[in-house]
Amino acid sequence: MIEQNLKTLEEKSIYILREAKQKFSNVAALWSMGKDSTTMLALARKAFLGKVPFPVIHIDNRIDFPETYAFREYLSKKWNLDLIVAYSEIKPDPIGSACCGRNKPEALKKVMKEYNFDALIVSIRRDEHGIRSKERYMSPRDEKFRWDYKNQPAELWDDYASKATKGHVRIHPLLDWNEIDIWRYIQQEKVPVNPLYFSRNGFRYRSLGCTHCTVPVKSDAKSVKDIVKELKITKTEERSGRSMDKENEYVMQRLRSLGYM
Amino acid sequence: MIVRNITMLGHKDHGKSTLIGSMLMLTNSVTKARIREAKVYSKKLHKSFEPAFILDSFHEERTGGLTIDITRAEIPYRDVAFSFIDVPGHEELIKNMISGASYASTALLLVSAKKDEGIRDQTKRHLYIARMLGIRNLVVAVNKMDTVRYKEARFSEMRDGLLPFINKIGFGEDAVKFVPISAYRGEGIVSKSGNMKWYKGEPLIETLYAMSADESNDSSGPVRVILQGFLDGKKDLIVGKLVRGTLREGENDICTIPQNERIKIKGIIVNGKRVKKAVAGEPVALQLDKKISGEARGSIICGFLYCPIPKSTITARIFLTEMLGKDFSIKFNGIDLPVKSIKVNRYIDTTTGEASSKKAIEPLNAADATISLESKVPVEKFDETRELGRFVLYSRGKFAGIGTVL
Repeated sequence: MIEQNLKTLEEKSIYILREAKQKFSNVAALWSMGKDSTTMLALARKAFLGKVPFPVIHIDNRIDFPETYAFREYLSKKWNLDLIVAYSEIKPDPIGSACCGRNKPEALKKVMKEYNFDALIVSIRRDEHGIRSKERYMSPRDEKFRWDYKNQPAELWDDYASKATKGHVRIHPLLDWNEIDIWRYIQQEKVPVNPLYFSRNGFRYRSLGCTHCTVPVKSDAKSVKDIVKELKITKTEERSGRSMDKENEYVMQRLRSLGYM
Repeated sequence: MIVRNITMLGHKDHGKSTLIGSMLMLTNSVTKARIREAKVYSKKLHKSFEPAFILDSFHEERTGGLTIDITRAEIPYRDVAFSFIDVPGHEELIKNMISGASYASTALLLVSAKKDEGIRDQTKRHLYIARMLGIRNLVVAVNKMDTVRYKEARFSEMRDGLLPFINKIGFGEDAVKFVPISAYRGEGIVSKSGNMKWYKGEPLIETLYAMSADESNDSSGPVRVILQGFLDGKKDLIVGKLVRGTLREGENDICTIPQNERIKIKGIIVNGKRVKKAVAGEPVALQLDKKISGEARGSIICGFLYCPIPKSTITARIFLTEMLGKDFSIKFNGIDLPVKSIKVNRYIDTTTGEASSKKAIEPLNAADATISLESKVPVEKFDETRELGRFVLYSRGKFAGIGTVL
């Protein structure tokens, strides 16, 4: 896995986060308590001098891991986060999984409308998935959350998409980061992480969803340092423990075009 | 690892995505799962295995056999990592190509040697845009050599056909190299091809390594800070990006443009830490000795002795992707600026690099023009300070092209 220059990555993310706060009047961020969105919060604390200046939304289907809920309480207190919990239903979904497929964007739609957010920070990375690698740093979604992927706005130099006329703009400050960069940054900055990422009885979670759709992968990595070491030589995919990605790339595309994170 | 951004260029179907797919596999830079997925999908569409599917992830890209939007693929090589930016080759998707190419410092142009393919308008137009965007280094891969029985004569024909245009638009003689390959068969890419012993140069990936350069920031030039605005909730801290030079705490030979007010830098914060100096490329939060009058966004901070004179008239080269409507604007230095008038001094055909006899600026062509704005802005020549010498054109809110200041 390619290790990039952390300073360069950090600087670009800080620039994008500040740009988001300048361009939009009511910004929120998604926080799953996973490694990526938590790293994004650490970057926001740097960009805004110790404070996360936007609310963080947890889309909660009530079946996340107990460790995840505990981590949510711990960090939101420690970092003084403005936490919004939006509950999502669990019901059959013809495209994605019942727990984390289309029901999550439905819950997000409600909370976005209620608070009138015009921009949403989402901590996706290009190296996670072929479809996510097609994203822009700032990407408009219409009022139904649809992603017009066949006609994305131009994005060049430091010029990012402006306000969506209807709907909102997704902000992707971590698009350039690779999985190993996230862990190297966590190591360097001592960012607190969900304990589920560390190996217990020979298994650890490499990518976190909820209790229904995530399985742990074989690993002996018991610390951040071990994880960095493991990722240097791994040959498996990051999201191999996520059942929803298994079908084919098209499932992710259909979900994303409908507003999935 | 240092990342070198390399944009692909070239006409549709000349093999850009296939080449990246092949390179990923030849260098073991892609997971087996990703290759398997591409194989399963190829089969489902009743195609033989298509390496381009590793890049082209959209359903429509795979069924249509084209790249719709940009994507990236990273390949480590020696002490660097190439980040290949795949772009669409279709004319109607040129705004996506420009978006991708804008992040690169080196270009890899594909031209197909296949009979009836060869050098096309779009081959040259992509080169023209790359040059406008400031790309200096170029590698040309002459692809599909397997379809012309690996003949040296066909390779030379492609090279001799393109070189005059390449030199005409301003790539230096030493900044261009040609390499014969077959992307689909994986020949001439990571090792020399036994079918092309007449080619004495290095394989493609080594040529790219030699021709591409690390991206660097100009820390020794005059100070230029592009301001984003005030830091959230803190009226005494201003944030922006130091695009040129080195800024030091306590410095007072500093001013804001277009306000033209002399200021002093009381404090500098970079990436959350208080520092004595900041260098080009860093996002900064600055504490000044006085409030900036008017809007911070759209203004710059620069050295007092060597600063751009604010202008409301700009002479620039523009490239259009859309017809310009009656009211259009430019996005420059973070803000939208309505255009009062535009006067074309010279029309340019982007497929020849020559002056065009046309009387209007048509999409996919360029012009040298004088643009009048309603207000004065801190503009510089593109060759001087890139960030202050380029802009995006919008016509009725829609992306319509790019411009670089002459």
